[in-house]
Amino acid sequence: MLELLQKIYDLGGPLLLGAVTTVEITVLSFIVALSIGLLFALLKLGAPKPVVWLINVYVEVFRNTPVLAQVFIIYFGLAHTGIQVAAIPAAVIGLGLNGGAILTEIIRAGLAAVHKGQREAALSVGMTPWTSLRFIILPQTWRITLPPMGNYAIALLKDTAVVSAIAAPEIMFYARNLVTSTFDTTFIYILAALLYFALSFPLARMVNHFEQRQRAWQ
Amino acid sequence: MIEFFAVYPENWANWWPQIQTAMLVTVQLTVCSFALAAVVGLLLALGKLSKIRMLRMFCSGYIEVARGVPALAVLFLLYYGLVPTGLVLDAFVAGFIGLGLSAAGYIAEVFRAGIEAVHKGQREAALSVGMTPMKSFRYIILPQAMRIILPPLLNMLIILLKDTSICSLISTPELMLRTKDLAMMSFLPMHLFLLAALMYFLMSWPLSIMTRRIELRMQHGKKSLTP
Repeated sequence: MLELLQKIYDLGGPLLLGAVTTVEITVLSFIVALSIGLLFALLKLGAPKPVVWLINVYVEVFRNTPVLAQVFIIYFGLAHTGIQVAAIPAAVIGLGLNGGAILTEIIRAGLAAVHKGQREAALSVGMTPWTSLRFIILPQTWRITLPPMGNYAIALLKDTAVVSAIAAPEIMFYARNLVTSTFDTTFIYILAALLYFALSFPLARMVNHFEQRQRAWQ
Repeated sequence: MIEFFAVYPENWANWWPQIQTAMLVTVQLTVCSFALAAVVGLLLALGKLSKIRMLRMFCSGYIEVARGVPALAVLFLLYYGLVPTGLVLDAFVAGFIGLGLSAAGYIAEVFRAGIEAVHKGQREAALSVGMTPMKSFRYIILPQAMRIILPPLLNMLIILLKDTSICSLISTPELMLRTKDLAMMSFLPMHLFLLAALMYFLMSWPLSIMTRRIELRMQHGKKSLTP
């Protein structure tokens, strides 16, 4: 028993170090994705046709190709054309662009789900289009999009595992390194899986809570 | 720009046969993992809805864990992690089992939500006209639940297709691994990874369009519930 604890302590240290990077990449990618998603979803409401068309192309391309291919293009592909991107920024850009496409769709659906009478009412009491968006539409959209956005955050957290392939020093990367030095394969990968679970479980509970609350609203 | 694209015809004869073979593996991997995930997912969903408490707890636990652990960690555990215990899996087998077991957690929730959405009067009616529980599930509940289940199920198929790319990290000889090998040999990573992305897109986009169509069709005849 003591031996096991000692082992967890020895191997858990580096993995926890990786967990910090995993959280870092997750948070940064989420911010990038949310910025893109919010901007593009709003642009789709009122921008000229060619812009909307370009956004649609972006969404389709990024939703129908694997995130690993996107990250490889940014990390290996760009390096070949002379643009060196370090592993963590490459991971954040890749996951962020990928997530941007997903969040564009989620937020667009959320905006569409707000009854258009809400906007008309806001305008008719003298709000500008901007204030009606800011104080009437977006708060209601937020409520609708919270659960799917939370689900996306969980998926993102798990997807960060693939950026170990470009040597971003996150959990899986440390796990693989530990394996080559200690050969304790089974134990290390179980520990890594548990660590991911420990990170995603609170998020999952939160999403669950939001979903329950939304059901209560309806 | 022209220079960039001139590379493709030059290397096409060399690249295409390998990429074609690898795409076939990707498709096989997708189909196998999806089939496994659908079967395990349905069983888990039924388990979660069962009256037996232990079974319910086990299935809920499985679903939570499968949804909280990255597929990559599962793949590494199956492919490398089982070796010390004496169980050596082929990279393809480890790949589809790992992806399938991981996706089963999601699919179980999809099935459960679909089954629960069918009004329970339907089941009671089926039982009262003398159907066995098995028959009422097979002929009354499941066909109605399918309407709700089908779109997210197809979405999962698309996600699986894209996720097969991570099997390259356990050396399953699928599209991503072949592309990476070719990229390293030819020193043309940009060209090859773009080509791989295009191939994934060509496989996935038709599925996406089909899913959207079905999703729209399923909404016909059903009043929108969104306020």
